[in-house]
Amino acid sequence: MNFIHPQFSLALPEMILLGMISIILIADLFISDKGRVVTYLMTQATLVLAAIATAAVMGADVALSFNGHFIIDPLASLTKLFIYLVSMVAFAYSRSYLIERDMYRGEYFVLGLTAVLGMMVLASAHSLLTLYLGLELLSLSLYAMVGLRRDSSQAAEAAMKYFVLGAMASAMLLYGMSMIYGATGTLNLWEIRDAVAEGSGHSLVLIFGLVFLMVGVAFKLGAAPFHMWVPDVYHGAPTSVTLFLSSAPKLAAFVLMIRLLVDALPALASAWSDMLVIIAVLSIVLGNVIAIAQLNIKRMLAYSGISHIGFLLLGVLSATPEGYAAAFYYAIVYAIMSLGGFAMVLVMSRQGFEADELSDYAGLNERSPIIALMMLFIMFSMAGVPPLLGFWAKLAVIQAIVAVEYYQLAVLAVLFSVVGAFYYLRVIRIIYFDKPTERRELKPANDLKVIFIANAMLVLLLGLFPESLMNLCQSAFIY
Amino acid sequence: MISFAQTLFYLFSAIIIFAALRVVTVRNPIHAALYLVLTFFTTAALWILLEAEFLAITLVLVYVGAVMVLFLFVIMMLDIDLAVMREGFVRSLPVAGLVALVMLAIMVMVVGPQHFGMALYPAVTPHAADYSNTRELGRLLYTVYLYPFEIAAVILLVAIVAAIALTLRQRKDSRYQQVELQVAVERNDRLRIVSMPAEEPRP
Amino acid sequence: MPQYRRADRIHQMLENYLPVLIFIAVGLVFGAFMVVLGMILSPSRPDDEKLSRYECGFEAFAGARSEFDVRFYLVAILFIIFDLEIAFLFPWATVLRELGLFGLLSMTLFLAILVVGFIYEWKKGALQWE
Repeated sequence: MNFIHPQFSLALPEMILLGMISIILIADLFISDKGRVVTYLMTQATLVLAAIATAAVMGADVALSFNGHFIIDPLASLTKLFIYLVSMVAFAYSRSYLIERDMYRGEYFVLGLTAVLGMMVLASAHSLLTLYLGLELLSLSLYAMVGLRRDSSQAAEAAMKYFVLGAMASAMLLYGMSMIYGATGTLNLWEIRDAVAEGSGHSLVLIFGLVFLMVGVAFKLGAAPFHMWVPDVYHGAPTSVTLFLSSAPKLAAFVLMIRLLVDALPALASAWSDMLVIIAVLSIVLGNVIAIAQLNIKRMLAYSGISHIGFLLLGVLSATPEGYAAAFYYAIVYAIMSLGGFAMVLVMSRQGFEADELSDYAGLNERSPIIALMMLFIMFSMAGVPPLLGFWAKLAVIQAIVAVEYYQLAVLAVLFSVVGAFYYLRVIRIIYFDKPTERRELKPANDLKVIFIANAMLVLLLGLFPESLMNLCQSAFIY
Repeated sequence: MISFAQTLFYLFSAIIIFAALRVVTVRNPIHAALYLVLTFFTTAALWILLEAEFLAITLVLVYVGAVMVLFLFVIMMLDIDLAVMREGFVRSLPVAGLVALVMLAIMVMVVGPQHFGMALYPAVTPHAADYSNTRELGRLLYTVYLYPFEIAAVILLVAIVAAIALTLRQRKDSRYQQVELQVAVERNDRLRIVSMPAEEPRP
Repeated sequence: MPQYRRADRIHQMLENYLPVLIFIAVGLVFGAFMVVLGMILSPSRPDDEKLSRYECGFEAFAGARSEFDVRFYLVAILFIIFDLEIAFLFPWATVLRELGLFGLLSMTLFLAILVVGFIYEWKKGALQWE
């Protein structure tokens, strides 16, 4: 393989992030607990700088660097920008939660940033090797974040489960990649695509590899039947970590799937589309049905997340650019809604009280009407009630599968989103019609409250004007 | 006619399969760890047969030398109750065995000679006696694979941060030597000469 | 020079490892021979006292296996990380002259990232044994 001198400037955002991670890691050692806000602000500044750099290197065309290991295309740049945004909001949400729980340490922010770096590597990966390394960087940071609250045995258990199952999934993914490499003889995604199109590599070996890739990806997305870790980890992890875990990494996992299936193996579309049908149906059905039985709101949101991933997969399995754009739209919308959903728990909790039981929300309307209203927006949006954001996302993926004539699947999706509406509406019933069990005034930190309201208003506003975000998502796939 | 190298391959493979089976069936976890060492050693031998000498030596150095030490630490750290650990082994054996057999059948179907057989691939070009796998690796790793190489460094960094964040407990009351203070100490810090008026002897 | 058959010529490079193989074989045979010899020749008359666990002067009251401090684990994992780093240095050192400045800088960046980790663990007191 000939060595071409890499064009470093394309990886400027990654380099900025790496540099700032090093600076923050060292600087935090010299910062006392009182001055920790400096670490926090540096973290947010890093994400802003990375966003500026990403916007600067972002172009309409596709560029490769580092001998084909790295790609800049609209999908990569857009995903990165949304990852920064979602991560910034997630960090902002977690600040007061962390202070109250003695977790306000530099490591939290450093690990969060390395997770963001892993997502960025995933977003612009163009070889199986970089995809795998990006995924490992992301996962390793997340495992540690889940276990960061050391005095909680629940968090330790969640971290352990996540780690063991995650390592299994990584091994599956790696085995699948080795099969693809063995059949095609290259790691580069486009070279794999060309090799498969030329018919080199036996289809049986490729399908075998694809099955393992699919298991790994489905696990990382948290799709049924590889969803067992999701409720336990979401429940056991500190809420601020759950909030982060359930938002930005889903975007990264979506890009991982697009890179593997669409960039590298488009020739096997009929095979992976069939596999995705099974995974999507199982996710939608299991997620929505089991969520009804949950009394813990974090577990309920976890199962609802599984069903949302099922909807997202509907877009991908249509195997059309419109479908991918719809799925991308769904991933972004889900990240925004999931931020809001777990932020509900953060807003309600205080020192020594986690507010993760549904009964804790009883009569919230009497205690704080404005927060109750914002929760109403988020729950309605997750249920897919028009004109909120979640409705347009569901509409987009259902349109995508109707366009390829999967009518039964569309009917099933609509049917189960009605089933899903039941448990979202139950939360609203509890908030508005149940007698409050406690009358204490709700006093969330100011920044938390402001961001929560902004988050919920975004769900409303983007729902009223859905075209702009949709057009942005389409520009990533149709150009 | 089977060549000498092929004989070695089958010998080492047989040892690997035997040792790997022992890892999961042997009663004592320490013995299991030692069988894992044997597995690593023989795998390294296979890699040498593939002329991947650097990887083989790294496997011995890193896995046998370091990772296995960690495994032994963990085994000792956990204070494993052997009876509890063995519970359910027999009960889940039929299901696990069935799954393993099905997996094996599928793998033989896919990874068998009809897809990866010797006849399907061009003959390997023989390397001269002074061929160095390490140099070939070096030529690629720091140039063509620069980007993955640096990500590997970041992953190691995360491992450092995660290991310390998860396990390091600083006790407030712990005392240890501060060597720099010991070295920097001066005579005046330790010894103060006080001039006292001589006491009058009592009459 | 003797004429090699084709199958032998392919493995010319592997011939460097023949002494290692012979060494392992001799080591195994010799080691096994000694153990077997001991088993055959030595007298063996076990009784309860001889087979019991040895504890100086009193009855053993606990198994030999007890919980380890988690700090050993931290030291071990930090050791592995830097062990891996050293492993990356070997191929680099063999071809540094060919790679030139680019190779030097790529390793500098690699080491710099790990030095950041090293400063962190040092300052954090992870290398300090209380």
